[in-house]
Amino acid sequence: MKRFILSLLLGILFITLQTTLLPSLPIQRIRPDILLIFTLYLGLSYPPISGGLLAFFLGYLMDLFSGNPFGLYTFSRPLLFYISQFFKNRFYLESFPSQSFFVFIFALVEGLLILILLRALNPIPLRNLYPSFLETFLLNSFVTGLISPVLFSLFNRGSFLLFNQHKMGIKEKG
Amino acid sequence: MRIRGFFLFRRYSIPTVIVLLLLFALVFMSLRVRQRKGIDFFDALLIELCSPIQKASTLVIKTVQGFFNQYVFLVHLQKENTMLKQRIAELQRESHQGKEMALAHERLQKLLQFRDKISPSVIAAEVIGQDPSSWLMSVTINKGEKDGVRKGMAVISAEGAIGQILKTSPYHSVVLLITDYNSAIDSIVQRTRAKAIVEGKGENRCQLKYLLRAEDVVVGDLVVTSGLSGNFTKGLMIGRISKVDKRGHGIFQYAELVPSVDLTKLEEVLVITESPMPLQEEKGKKVKKAK
Repeated sequence: MKRFILSLLLGILFITLQTTLLPSLPIQRIRPDILLIFTLYLGLSYPPISGGLLAFFLGYLMDLFSGNPFGLYTFSRPLLFYISQFFKNRFYLESFPSQSFFVFIFALVEGLLILILLRALNPIPLRNLYPSFLETFLLNSFVTGLISPVLFSLFNRGSFLLFNQHKMGIKEKG
Repeated sequence: MRIRGFFLFRRYSIPTVIVLLLLFALVFMSLRVRQRKGIDFFDALLIELCSPIQKASTLVIKTVQGFFNQYVFLVHLQKENTMLKQRIAELQRESHQGKEMALAHERLQKLLQFRDKISPSVIAAEVIGQDPSSWLMSVTINKGEKDGVRKGMAVISAEGAIGQILKTSPYHSVVLLITDYNSAIDSIVQRTRAKAIVEGKGENRCQLKYLLRAEDVVVGDLVVTSGLSGNFTKGLMIGRISKVDKRGHGIFQYAELVPSVDLTKLEEVLVITESPMPLQEEKGKKVKKAK
């Protein structure tokens, strides 16, 4: 329970950083998705029920503070959480490149999923959105993937310090 | 039989919870699409819980940025000072011209009885957060329903139009920026009075939709609000045309514009609370009452 609440507070802290700190950085175009990295970390280290609920709540928060009129992230984040759970013991995710690649692919998958959902839910075609997928989203997904090993490592250390669980986290199994 | 059922549930409990959670997310999405009441309460509650943290974080970031801007980045101060003096001289000249124009404008306003339309009541608000996702364009402000802010109200700044209120909670609101792909504002090109719809294109850019090919529009033309949408007063600056393309087929031409407000550096905004024309919802209510 303690772990669940701490992770929840950490998620709120990350969304705060994502809405305040990242937009104030000098390079406006590059905005990595810290919350996505955190959700994927949860997918690799958390049990399915409590982790799924956390991913759902974090997605809900994303929707709340974004200009998105639908609950897109509320659906996409738990889905990504469970897909990452599926891959957890099937791929080697200990090295930095593999972690980066893993997060980059998931960021792209989420982008495509959101694009499909927006296309399905909007009554009018959103042609303006397609160029932004290539211009902004690809770059941001790449940066998100790039910083993910550092954050994964920080999450692992934090988790070890707080709960003394050495084998918790993504290095549990290859 | 009961015991067997219990073991079956234990065996499939995790997949059941996963399926239920994802189904709930889908139902939630469908509720949002239909804009049903009921989820608004949780939205407002969560916004109110998280906004103080956002506010504190913004304050810390602004303080740190202010320190760097004031003490660390003073390298080009002399050059900037000379430039600013020149700019002041230019502005003083423009100010005199502006005063003359304002007097003329005032007379015309009285003459046409449009005074109420041009000076609606506004609420000043501070931007406390930006959109967490990379391709949606919105900001969170520190004024909400208790301050008189309602969904659909226009948000402006001294430089021009910014967007419309998308979500509200008692003390905070989310503003959909004009650069968001979901945003559309009725507008006119100031020089030629050509009508068009300004749609968001992300990345501090917009495009003009339904601009007739026959209309004379060039790069640098100013685009202002037409006042027909009901939320924005007429004549508010939206932006400057940056690209015109007539090469395609059809009766419309393509034009892009850069907003007059730098939406990536928003700090303070104004919410127009008094609409010059009744909003769509209010119109509906009035019709119902009349019946």
